[in-house]
Amino acid sequence: MTALLEIAGISKNFGGVKALSDVSFSVEPGTVLGLVGPNGSGKTTLFSCLTGFLKPTRGEARFEGRSLSGLSPERVCKLGVVRTWQKVRPLAKLSVLDNVVVGALCRTTSVAHAREIAHEQLRLVRLDARSSALAGALPIGERKKLEVARVLATQPRLVLFDEVMGGLNTFEKEELAELIVELRRKGLTQIVIEHDMKAILRVSDRLVVLGSGAKLADGAPAEVVRDPAVISAYLGEPIAAA
Amino acid sequence: MKRAVVAASIAAGVLLVALLPVFVKSDYPLGVMIGVLLAVSLGAAWNIIGGFAGQYSLGHSAYFGVGAYTIVVLLGRGIAPWWGALLGSILASAVALLIGSICLRLRGAYFVLASIAVAEILRLLALWAKSLTNGAEGILVGEFPPFTIFGHFVTDFTGKPPFFYMALGLAVFCVATNGVIKRTKLGYYLQAIREDQDAAWSLGIPLALYKNAALLISAALAAQAGALTATYVAFMDPNAMLGLDVSVRAVLVCILGGLGTVWGPVAGAIVFALLDEALLRYLTQSHLFGLGMLLILAILFLPDGLAGLAARLRVKARAKARA
Repeated sequence: MTALLEIAGISKNFGGVKALSDVSFSVEPGTVLGLVGPNGSGKTTLFSCLTGFLKPTRGEARFEGRSLSGLSPERVCKLGVVRTWQKVRPLAKLSVLDNVVVGALCRTTSVAHAREIAHEQLRLVRLDARSSALAGALPIGERKKLEVARVLATQPRLVLFDEVMGGLNTFEKEELAELIVELRRKGLTQIVIEHDMKAILRVSDRLVVLGSGAKLADGAPAEVVRDPAVISAYLGEPIAAA
Repeated sequence: MKRAVVAASIAAGVLLVALLPVFVKSDYPLGVMIGVLLAVSLGAAWNIIGGFAGQYSLGHSAYFGVGAYTIVVLLGRGIAPWWGALLGSILASAVALLIGSICLRLRGAYFVLASIAVAEILRLLALWAKSLTNGAEGILVGEFPPFTIFGHFVTDFTGKPPFFYMALGLAVFCVATNGVIKRTKLGYYLQAIREDQDAAWSLGIPLALYKNAALLISAALAAQAGALTATYVAFMDPNAMLGLDVSVRAVLVCILGGLGTVWGPVAGAIVFALLDEALLRYLTQSHLFGLGMLLILAILFLPDGLAGLAARLRVKARAKARA
């Protein structure tokens, strides 16, 4: 099976700081890859490198064999790779529905068609009851769901979720984990950044651990969490794998 | 059903305004109305780049002035005003593309500053190029050739009514353009850019393309407002057509009425033009002070303009009806 996304030796330096050094891994189609690591280990930087917001200092990523190097964010999105934002970015003065319509317009010029897609996505994340509210007025849990609906409306083939479960209560976290599993069942490939180990173990087929910009571990979740390097750098104590 | 009612009331409103010259025979109120309509056009033109796309141009006098000078200079050389107006919009769009392709890559205050600079360069250019613009002395606008359709005489552009109808036509066109933009992909994308450029970018929106498209349309309309203003006033000089006043007027109309709304520039223009007229009468030279105060009050108490106020009142009324 050929990988949907292949990350080959990506490094990113900010001046003298090595945010990412020689990170390589690949993502198989239809799977969920969990990306974990301490704060500042380069997870979000990697997402920015993949989606055209940052230029890697070295290395490249290939999506379906096609290099993403030098592509602008809008081109990457058109190819089918889209990210969410750790610090959510609602289009505050637009309604919830219109936020998602903006995403849907990536694949259509018809606003009416985009509305249909948007309604569908809002139903999927269970935000349809709030569609006429202003996005800026939503509480954090609903803002995260809005981010998800908005990127799904662009009809992606690979979604990079940057802590979509961060800052949520147990119930909301559960809901979003369930959603990720459901999207996977429908065949959507995902990379999920998450700090909650219980949640990440539940949704991931594979786990990649970053530490200080380098890849510490890469493999089946149950094995990765038993890796002594991962335990000392990130987990602190062993976790009972799900 | 609801849409049909709205469309019908808009049509009725426009028709009512259009009948005004039939009942109002004196020049003064008609002149004030023309002032309102010209302000609607300029404000609605600015609203596309400033209100929808959130790129605050403080140099719309550049496009307004290019439109004004093109029509008047060509008229002086015997070229019919409709060709001059058309060419004015084309030239203004070219200037917009030049400015936009360089400055719209920048975010934040840089575009604002660059837009002021470009307008100021054009003003100084108009002062300097005396052979073309007559410099600071200005130009008295020549008479229009009579307008005929298939040999039938329509108007010779004397008196206010012809300009009233042209101003009304332009205002309707500019507001309609706003309405169409708001309902289409362009409008959604411009508003997304206004709210958050990075979010918009990540959702597949080519930022530079859409910002430049907005500026181009905005400039083309502002040039029409300039062309009509110059020929209506019948006199122009670099300060009146290319001065900062013009740019501020465009912005003020939208802030008063409500940025990024279709009807904001209409409401803003009515308040602005009437107040400007009154202040000019009673405060004469210090009328700009009055307008400055107005702007401060609007920002303090009407953050979303008159359109925002209307929306808030609607919400309140609905809440009351439910209670």
